[in-house]
Amino acid sequence: MTARRPLLEALVAMLARDDVLVSSLGANSRYLPHLNVTAPVFALCDSMGAAIPLALGMALQRPDRHVVALEGDGSLLMCPNVLATVAAARPSNLTALLWVNGHYESSGGQALPSAPVDWSALAKGFGIANVERVGDVPALRAAFPRAQAAKAPALLVVDVAFDPSEPIPPYSERPDEIRARFRIA
Amino acid sequence: MSGAGRIVAGLEAAGVTLAASVPDTWIGKLMATVRRSRTIRAVDAAREEEAVAIACGATLAGGRGAVLIQNAGLFNCGGVLAGLVSLYRIPCFFIVSYRGDRRDPIYYHQPKGRMTEPTLSAWGLPFAIADHTTDLEAQVVRGVESAVASSGPAVLLISGEDIE
Repeated sequence: MTARRPLLEALVAMLARDDVLVSSLGANSRYLPHLNVTAPVFALCDSMGAAIPLALGMALQRPDRHVVALEGDGSLLMCPNVLATVAAARPSNLTALLWVNGHYESSGGQALPSAPVDWSALAKGFGIANVERVGDVPALRAAFPRAQAAKAPALLVVDVAFDPSEPIPPYSERPDEIRARFRIA
Repeated sequence: MSGAGRIVAGLEAAGVTLAASVPDTWIGKLMATVRRSRTIRAVDAAREEEAVAIACGATLAGGRGAVLIQNAGLFNCGGVLAGLVSLYRIPCFFIVSYRGDRRDPIYYHQPKGRMTEPTLSAWGLPFAIADHTTDLEAQVVRGVESAVASSGPAVLLISGEDIE
């Protein structure tokens, strides 16, 4: 299974300056300040489950921008109902990436409840028609442009390796810094 | 004009661009009026924490979001209020139906009514109780402006009679 960092690097390399990136708490938010991201970034360090609805609000407010949300399986397991909300709102400019590793990585690596959740089926069941499962960098490079071009909300289910020894950097930006810098031109 | 019309006029006057909601009987009637607005996008959320994040997203993207929910739904929102609204200092105006107060005839809402003001106070949420006998539109505008001025939450509690 592919490690997180090369997947994240491949994703940010595909983002345009006009895109907007919203990241859930945890590894993605901690890595992003160390990557060359040209799009505006709003990185959460708390509030599990808020990334997708936050991105939805941005997407509805700014239909001229494509908003990309990064969410974890532990966070979405708390509030999968947001997929129904997204399907009902039908934004044409929202792509969510669900990073699936089966663990609460930021809180010490505890395992999620061991139910074999079929995220793709769940999302489709909630009414998200554009769903793809991605397992490596080439697949992500192929699927992400399709998601952005879908003209409807899209979800990429990204299988990512869980490595308890992964040297994830600590949070390096404070919320007030993130808030002050975040601007969508 | 109905109370709902005056409340929505206040939201429009305050520049609200998006109203995210989970309905109850009263909020549902209010949202029916929101849906007729030409300047406010109505968004139906499945759960109240989502509505808060959706409204915050609209605000961060240059608009002005508001949240319309029941008091029971507000009780669900402690985490997102602390970890998003307060932590990132995002203006967020709430219209909350005050179920179970002395004006609510339905008995099973009473426990929620007893918990409402103590919870708002304990969470440090500035709030006002709407009064439909005075300028309801202005009360809404003041609430939105209070949220903007404080870069945080502000709550207007409404009753069924306020939307009639």
